[in-house]
Amino acid sequence: MKKDNKTFEERLDRLKAIVSALEQGDLPLEEGVALFKEGRILSKECATQLEKARNEVKIVTDGEVKDFEVDTEEDTADDS
Amino acid sequence: MKIFSVTDITRAVKDVLETEFPFIWVRGQVTNLARPASGHIYFTITDGDAGLSVVWFKGNQRAGGDGEESVNPLTGEIESGGPLELEDGMEVLVAGHMNVYPPRGVYQLVAELVQEQGVGDLKLAFEAMKRKLAEKGYFAEDRKMEIPRSPKRVAVVTAPTGAAIRDFLKIAEVRGTGAEIRIYPTLVQGDFAPGQIAQALDLVYDDNWAEVVVLIRGGGSLEDLWAFNTEQVADALFRSTIPVVCGIGHEVDFSIADYVADKRVATPSHAAQELWPRREILMQTVDELEGSLVRSFENYLNIRESQLETLQKGLSWLSPAQRIERLQASFAEEGQRLSRVADKFVTAKDTEALSLSHRLNFAFGGERIKRMEHDLSGLQGRLTRAADIFLKDKLAEFENASTSLRVLDPESPLERGYSLVTVEKSGKFLRSPEEVADGDAIRVRVKSGEVRARVTSE
Repeated sequence: MKKDNKTFEERLDRLKAIVSALEQGDLPLEEGVALFKEGRILSKECATQLEKARNEVKIVTDGEVKDFEVDTEEDTADDS
Repeated sequence: MKIFSVTDITRAVKDVLETEFPFIWVRGQVTNLARPASGHIYFTITDGDAGLSVVWFKGNQRAGGDGEESVNPLTGEIESGGPLELEDGMEVLVAGHMNVYPPRGVYQLVAELVQEQGVGDLKLAFEAMKRKLAEKGYFAEDRKMEIPRSPKRVAVVTAPTGAAIRDFLKIAEVRGTGAEIRIYPTLVQGDFAPGQIAQALDLVYDDNWAEVVVLIRGGGSLEDLWAFNTEQVADALFRSTIPVVCGIGHEVDFSIADYVADKRVATPSHAAQELWPRREILMQTVDELEGSLVRSFENYLNIRESQLETLQKGLSWLSPAQRIERLQASFAEEGQRLSRVADKFVTAKDTEALSLSHRLNFAFGGERIKRMEHDLSGLQGRLTRAADIFLKDKLAEFENASTSLRVLDPESPLERGYSLVTVEKSGKFLRSPEEVADGDAIRVRVKSGEVRARVTSE
């Protein structure tokens, strides 16, 4: 698997599809082995993606999208 | 021109105000209610255009409580019971005097009695707006859009500073798989807030970038949150082209915006929770899937292996040497079967021929002619004997019949001297003396003729 721009969800869906294809058990051997390899890679990629996941926060002012720094004052808006 | 010191002018104002308004009644709506530990109650009463600070000291609150009676200065009626439980938005009548507080240069109304005046205007306005928009179909369930799961592009309409956005971002940090969050800043309180909120929402729609828009604000009084109860904001939410999540104030606060939005959440934090699953839960899903992958692959290999074994068996079965052996065995068996069948056939035909020759001989041989001659002579004897018996029987029958006939003839007794007497007038045979009277004519028949006579009675 080459590195591409797949989202986490797309990888997860593909991984699920691979597991159920292997569970069916009627694939040619080459295909089964290839799917297993692909699945291993996908699951690693998913884990990496989760570890590296960060939100990007921007602010839209005067029609421009700029980076946003949140103030760190210590009161909260609600009880949760 | 006289120049006042701050103290002097404040004292002058105090004198005028307190002398001019020693006791007044003011009507308004409670806002900014504060109950510090001191037990005094501070609030503002407003009529929408102006506000007046009110202080309700603890001592005055107790008037009328604890079973004591007090005179209502407005009505002159005697009242009892505890003090009024104030709430933001409550419409009240406050009785008291004006007072100036020199250190801060502010004037306030010192309340001596506070009385509820029905539901506050804001609440009435809220209910009226809710009814109006409900009728326009703004809250209809069937126009609600589904909130996308784990969105990658999220617009947040809120104040760029303050607790709401901070809470939202903090919760978002540990959730999802990495999203871009764009803040569309707006005022969330005050007269300009409704217009700005609507404008920010429209900007989000126009940018056509976000998958979902989040409208949030921290907790506050009914007045603070009022922008979210305006028709302007409701209209902007109603014309939304993407799903809207609305989290205004605390758990208990409900705004018109909450009703129009596609999804109402209790607080800004809840909005983030609603949008994204926790990252560690996603991690767990990945781990579980990896486990399933390994298990299903092992299983798959086992199935392949057993399939291979089956195929190997099949292959040896199909080898040419094996096939020739199997054919030879089959050939030998067929040969034996054939010879068995032939034997059986010949024997069966033999038996059949013998039986036929027996039957032929029996049907047409000398034996049969002899038997037929014998039968014929037997039949002739039986015929002669039968004719003799028949004739004898008929003769005897005839004689019997003749004898019977003779006995039955009425005239045969006449031969032996008997006679038959007939009464002339009745023509009947005479059987008893009572049948005749004196002088009756009778006829007496004898063997050879008839005698006529008359009856006499002697």
